[in-house]
Amino acid sequence: MGLIELLHMSVFSQSFSPCGKFLAAGNNYGEIALFSLSAALGPDANELSQKPILAFAAHDGPVFSLLSTDAHLLSAGNGEISAWSWAELIKKNVKAAWTRRPNYKSSLEIPEINAMAINPADNSLAVGGGDNNVHIMDLENGVFKSVLQGHTDYIHCLSVRERAAEVLSGGEDGAVRIWDTRTSQCVHCVEVYKYETCARPQHGRWISCLTTDSDWMLCGGGPSLSLWHLRSMSPTSVFPLSGCQRQATFYQDMILTVGEGQCVSHCQMGGEVKAQIPCTPHSINTLAINTNSTEHRVLTVGGSSDHIDVFTNLSYRAFSLRF
Amino acid sequence: MTPSLYTFIDAKDKFAASAISGLAGRTSKPLINAFNQITGNEAEKKATLDQSLRGVLGDQIVEQKASCDDYLALIYISIEAVTEGICSATTPFLLLGDVLDCLPLDQCDKIFSFVEENVSTWKSSTFYSAGKNYLLRVCNDLLRRLSKSQNTVFCGRIQLFLARLFPLSEKSGLNLQSQFNLENITVFNKNEQESTLGQKHTEEKEDGMEVEEGEMGEEEVPAPCSIPIDYNLYRKFWTLQDYFRNPLQCYDKFSWMTFLKYSDETLAVFKSFKLDDMQASKRKLEELRTSAGEHVYFAKFLTSEKLMDLQLSDSNFRRHILLQYLILFQYLKGQVKFKSSNCVLNDDQTTWIEETTKLVHQLLKEIPPEGEKFSAMVEHILNTEENWNSWKNEGCPSFVKERVVDDKPKRPTRKRQAPEDFLGKGPDRKLFMGNDELTRLWNLNADNMEACKSDDREFMPSLDEFFAEAIEQADPTNMVEDEYKVVRNSNYGWRALRLLSRRSPHFFQPTNQKFKSLADYLDSMVSKLAKELPKDIPSEEIKTGEEDDDDNGDNLLKESNDSPSMQNKIVSNQQMDDVAAKLGAKWKTLAVQLEMKASELREIETDSEDVDMQAKLLLVAWQDREGTQATVENLVSALNAASFSQIADNLSEA
Repeated sequence: MGLIELLHMSVFSQSFSPCGKFLAAGNNYGEIALFSLSAALGPDANELSQKPILAFAAHDGPVFSLLSTDAHLLSAGNGEISAWSWAELIKKNVKAAWTRRPNYKSSLEIPEINAMAINPADNSLAVGGGDNNVHIMDLENGVFKSVLQGHTDYIHCLSVRERAAEVLSGGEDGAVRIWDTRTSQCVHCVEVYKYETCARPQHGRWISCLTTDSDWMLCGGGPSLSLWHLRSMSPTSVFPLSGCQRQATFYQDMILTVGEGQCVSHCQMGGEVKAQIPCTPHSINTLAINTNSTEHRVLTVGGSSDHIDVFTNLSYRAFSLRF
Repeated sequence: MTPSLYTFIDAKDKFAASAISGLAGRTSKPLINAFNQITGNEAEKKATLDQSLRGVLGDQIVEQKASCDDYLALIYISIEAVTEGICSATTPFLLLGDVLDCLPLDQCDKIFSFVEENVSTWKSSTFYSAGKNYLLRVCNDLLRRLSKSQNTVFCGRIQLFLARLFPLSEKSGLNLQSQFNLENITVFNKNEQESTLGQKHTEEKEDGMEVEEGEMGEEEVPAPCSIPIDYNLYRKFWTLQDYFRNPLQCYDKFSWMTFLKYSDETLAVFKSFKLDDMQASKRKLEELRTSAGEHVYFAKFLTSEKLMDLQLSDSNFRRHILLQYLILFQYLKGQVKFKSSNCVLNDDQTTWIEETTKLVHQLLKEIPPEGEKFSAMVEHILNTEENWNSWKNEGCPSFVKERVVDDKPKRPTRKRQAPEDFLGKGPDRKLFMGNDELTRLWNLNADNMEACKSDDREFMPSLDEFFAEAIEQADPTNMVEDEYKVVRNSNYGWRALRLLSRRSPHFFQPTNQKFKSLADYLDSMVSKLAKELPKDIPSEEIKTGEEDDDDNGDNLLKESNDSPSMQNKIVSNQQMDDVAAKLGAKWKTLAVQLEMKASELREIETDSEDVDMQAKLLLVAWQDREGTQATVENLVSALNAASFSQIADNLSEA
């Protein structure tokens, strides 16, 4: 990979292996790279251990979303979803287990897939992308069961609310829709930009990050990142972060969020920003915490750079993996 | 008769016995008695006594039946014996040394308390010179036996005792050559093989592939350590300790580069990893204080890699490291006599050190709790260190200031008296303020109270003056409309009320009339006043009446001014001639009062033969000297003082 390509690389997605020892990252060139965490975290780590052990071209377009099941790595590219076996990948065997494509209305354009989420209750995969719909696919047989229609613009992010068997989707139209998976109906529609406390008209109305904790929901993007109480459907805290947040997650009793801005923000449920830890990429797209392994429990952050920052201690950047 | 032979053993036994007998009562009387009874040379007896005391102590220790108190009693007796002069001054110290060498540490504690209590005894002249070296040796031996981390308090006590015993400029405790404890090496896991992680996969790495295969979840049981470790930071961090241990390494270019790199990384971590857990650390401190009553205990750095995360979150740990940086920087920058000449920093290094010092202070300020205070305190302490450093560089001069010896006997100096006039004690009772203008102003009236009471400070107008306009307006013939009357003016009304309260009895007469407004009230008062005025006739005459009053007022004012002004006028030539004529030959008496110098008098005498002329000359000389102060008043007072009151009266009348 030439230097120019490295300069223009953006990392869009990450996923940890089920054993927790590997990290898969997808970039804007359609490549997926596999990094060995145990090598990079080991006491004798060197420059080489921070490079991928395997890098391959997965899709034509950028890999916007990566997801791991128990045995497979699912990646989403331009309109298609591919599955790769982790065991094979670790053996450096690059062959997709299967590739599926949701039913798109028009065959002229191929809409990109921006987000995927797994509903473990009925082993289904929710997929959202450029055709403004959420497609639900059954992972056992690969059939697309249903289509959730309602958004008027493309979907940025998806999240699954397990207890209530609901899927939340956030889109460019500024709406967060809550769908009941059994009936495939939209149960709620929250237009975040209409709430004065959250709205930031100067940034727009799009919702780029969405995550849920069954009782709480974090959403942000154009409007400020805000914490919502799902039962009452009202915002409880608004976080005073200046950029647009692209990914947020609940971790222990904190909220970690990344977006525009060269830092990882640690926030508290009450609404105050506790710390902002500087990192390498100037604008961060993805944040992942390795909950699959205790000895490799790291936070990794990737964005508009070919470096993926690794945090062993949440409060400072330890080192970077490089594409 | 031959003197009886002095047998050492006998004497020793006798002394020993009397010492033991004196132990019970802690008295040295038996010993003294024995000493006096035995015949022999003083020196011999003293030496024998020393030996016997040591022997007694030795026996006691060997038997192990005696307690600390017994040992202390023996030593106490020996001190008394020294003061009595029967024992040499080094004996108590020898005994102390013996005891402390032979006893276990817990008993040494008690013995040492005894030593501490008697600091004053040790410092007294009989004991000090003989014993200080012994004491020093004893204390050093004890310190060597003690562990600084286990017996911190005891070590501290010994150090404090030494500090109290020796004068401030005692050099034996000083690190004169600014040497470093090079043996203080911090160990940490540099090698992979020594890693405390139990996983064997870290060895034998050919290429990444095999490593993964080895790791693929087979035999290796995960080690008890289950957190990810940042080895990079771990190694760099603890390598820094080597630089702190031996700062001279920093002058070597290569080592300096490494130090720079590692420091930058470490400080960057400190910077991004901010400690803001103020609540938690406050609670922790409370707990620590209540449980142990002491501060956080710190022996030496624990360098296990598993602790790295915890250590980074600990504010005390950070303070230690940052403080190490500051101390290192102070050494590198400072002037120390014993540094070799190639230990000089170049400009880049100096700049880096300054920037980093600022960063370190900023980080210190951010560390809770009370970071600002800590940072300020540290800065202050390091500044004080500079003083000690320069003191050492000068070869530790003594702090006692020598008395400056006075060789010249003091010549009694004659106090020059201030001139009488200056203090206002002169005949004129005039005060010279140093400046003509000031003197004039002051001498208008020296007493402020009197000046305030003088008539020309009477500013309150008379009723007639003030109410003239109102009375005129009240006159119906003038046909002044109500709204234009001056009594409607609230300012006028207020002043009118004040004046009435001071000057008019009508103010205080009770009246049944109810006045709706101030203006109405004033109208009635004005009419009453108008009736009272001496000339109760139409306005013009009233006006003139008032004018007269005014004139009178003015005249009064003028008169009152006249008397002081006349007095303050400078004496005119005519007046001087008159006075001179009247003075005649008696001008010399006046001269005394006018404070003319003898030289001037002689000059006058030689100038003229005529007494009148001489008198005139006197006055002229006086006037020349006084200048603007040559006033009639002064001359009058001088004349009065010289008992020329008649002349004085004539002068004042003129």
